[in-house]
Amino acid sequence: MQSASDDMIWEVINHQFCSFKTTIGKALSDKQHFCRHPYSVTGLCNRTSCPLANSKYATLREDDGRVHLFLKTVERAHSPKNLWEKIYLSRNYTKALAQIDEHLQYFPKVLIHRNKQRLTKIHQYLIRMRKIELKVRAGKKAKLVRVHRKVEQREERRERKALVAAKIESVLEKELTERLAKGAYGDIYNFPESPYQKALLGAEEEEEEEEDEETEVATDEEEEEMVEYVEDLDSELEEDEEEDMEDAGDYMGDGQWGARGSDDDEDDDDDDTNKEGDSDEDSKEAKKTRKETGQKERTKSRNRVRRRKGRPTPRYGFDLNFICIMA
Amino acid sequence: PTALLLHLNPFFFFFSKGNRPKLIKKTTLTMTSRPLVTVYSCSGEKSGETTLPAVMSAALRPDLVQFVHTNMNKNNRQAYAVNIHASKKVVAKSWGTGRAVARIPRVGGGGTSRSGQGAFGNMCRGGRMYNPSKTWRKWNRKINIKQKRYAVASALAASAVPALVMARGHIVDEVPELPLVVENAIESTKKTSAANDILQSIGALDDVEKAGNSKQLRAGKGKMRNRRYTLRRGPLIVYKTNDGIEQAFRNLPGVEFCCVDRLNLLQLAPGGHMGRFCIWSQAALEALETIYGEGGKSIPFATMTNPDIARIINSDEVQSVVNPMKDGQKYYAPKRNAIKNVDALEALDPYAAAKRRQEAVLTAARASKKDEIMAKKREQRKSKRAFKEQGKAFYEKVSVQGTVCEDGFTIE
Repeated sequence: MQSASDDMIWEVINHQFCSFKTTIGKALSDKQHFCRHPYSVTGLCNRTSCPLANSKYATLREDDGRVHLFLKTVERAHSPKNLWEKIYLSRNYTKALAQIDEHLQYFPKVLIHRNKQRLTKIHQYLIRMRKIELKVRAGKKAKLVRVHRKVEQREERRERKALVAAKIESVLEKELTERLAKGAYGDIYNFPESPYQKALLGAEEEEEEEEDEETEVATDEEEEEMVEYVEDLDSELEEDEEEDMEDAGDYMGDGQWGARGSDDDEDDDDDDTNKEGDSDEDSKEAKKTRKETGQKERTKSRNRVRRRKGRPTPRYGFDLNFICIMA
Repeated sequence: PTALLLHLNPFFFFFSKGNRPKLIKKTTLTMTSRPLVTVYSCSGEKSGETTLPAVMSAALRPDLVQFVHTNMNKNNRQAYAVNIHASKKVVAKSWGTGRAVARIPRVGGGGTSRSGQGAFGNMCRGGRMYNPSKTWRKWNRKINIKQKRYAVASALAASAVPALVMARGHIVDEVPELPLVVENAIESTKKTSAANDILQSIGALDDVEKAGNSKQLRAGKGKMRNRRYTLRRGPLIVYKTNDGIEQAFRNLPGVEFCCVDRLNLLQLAPGGHMGRFCIWSQAALEALETIYGEGGKSIPFATMTNPDIARIINSDEVQSVVNPMKDGQKYYAPKRNAIKNVDALEALDPYAAAKRRQEAVLTAARASKKDEIMAKKREQRKSKRAFKEQGKAFYEKVSVQGTVCEDGFTIE
């Protein structure tokens, strides 16, 4: 029938009224919808498990220890009396699984999966029932485990409070930052950002001052020549510098920071006049001081870290001593 | 594509164009052959066939049905109001300021406790209520005829869908077919016992029984207002001519009947919920074809003839014209709960695998030792019991009247 497609039925049932639908939970976040329809595979109320809103459906039902498979198809949708086709399943679990596969060959995979799950559950509870029955016959009374509502509610309440009191997130955060600061994660360090930035700005200013002084001197000497010093990748100087540049290693000069390895592009672009030529004296000094501070060698693995162009990335540790010495 | 469903859904159309339902005068059903409905005899066997009337394939509009139902339901109300003179039969005047009392009008005079009491306010004892109810309140509602017809058509269509009938709560598990059509002889049943038998043979008695079992005293003041019991609704029997059918069926709990010419939405969709279980007489069903259709009342049409959007999207016609899938789409695997999923835990915690292995080893070791431990425990229990027995024996001995430990005692 045109008007009665599965989707339409689901629209009506879900949004208007279904006598089989029940909910548990008062808060919107806690709400769970269940389906009390005797032929529902899962007991939940949703689009795929609604026996009314799916014209092709299959369930398992257990009757007195025997499990039956019930099938529903579109062809019989108009006749409620003949709607469900009953198939007897083997008592053997593996054989029953195979039977399910065989009968539900052309059914949606979700249904097959759900039915198998249901079969497993049914067999499990049947086993449990038999065990208990045996115990009862042997003389032991069946254990009736009661639910004490007050106890349950009290425990629930306490669980909630304990969860809040544990402050899990903040404890985790502390622990992780501690580990970071100690250096347990390789070469990633964590230092407080604002003093770091301040120090950085300080270093930049000082650099600029230096550069100004130097350029004044330079222009006196080399007025007409506008020589561009481009970084030579094979030069010894560079190697030395690289070694010395170690942990303060993202520092490329000119108050610019970034990951060294991927620097090759940027280095070519930059006018690294100050870097190579003019600040020779200073760089020599710097080299010495860098060596003095005694930092370890850089490894190429650090270069994997992606840098933010133009902005200094406080990803690598910055040694405050470094700035003072540069001044 | 739930968003799509919302847009292409006839409901959305309804709201987007105000309350104007879409009606087409001519019956433009695409399928010229309509499904056949079997007609059952009064003893439950198949006795013939008819075609399903076009109304039964009308658009399902639960929103419209609900709207029309709520308004129609107001139409059989009787006015109620407070007495117009209530609390006004007092001569009361405010004492004004300066007397250290609230400025409420107070009853004048003296000699009774009533004098000096506040009057006329909703807050006063014996005063009139706030906004006293008036008889000229608008009790009834006008509904457009087309809307009413649309709703009835929709409700009729819903009554032909077994899923909706079941969802509404009717017990139709034994019914051989929906819509349930019985031969015209049903219209001339005279006896209730015969009616009962007919319903049993058609499989409709379960619903009647359900209604019968649900009879309860009404909660509230309705008890003393001639609405003493509440009952579930059973099947609705639709006939063409009343030849005694009413009298036969009326005493059965929950059963209602209706003439085709006067179909009532309040019966077809009780509570605003579509999908009443209807039992048709053959004449009634066939009359529907003339009542709804060309020359009669118009049948509402859905905006989509094929509402299966998933199917449309995946069809060849659409897929062949659609742009190819974009490359470089990021697909994220669903998050796995490390508490439930062992693989996820091991991905996060490098020690977890080792820990599990160790535990397995330990349990294996423990299991092998289990017999030893059990034997030990049994021995312990035995010796404990033996020890206790001694104590008991001593106590028995000692409890006997007489001198204690006359012969001395020993603990072995």
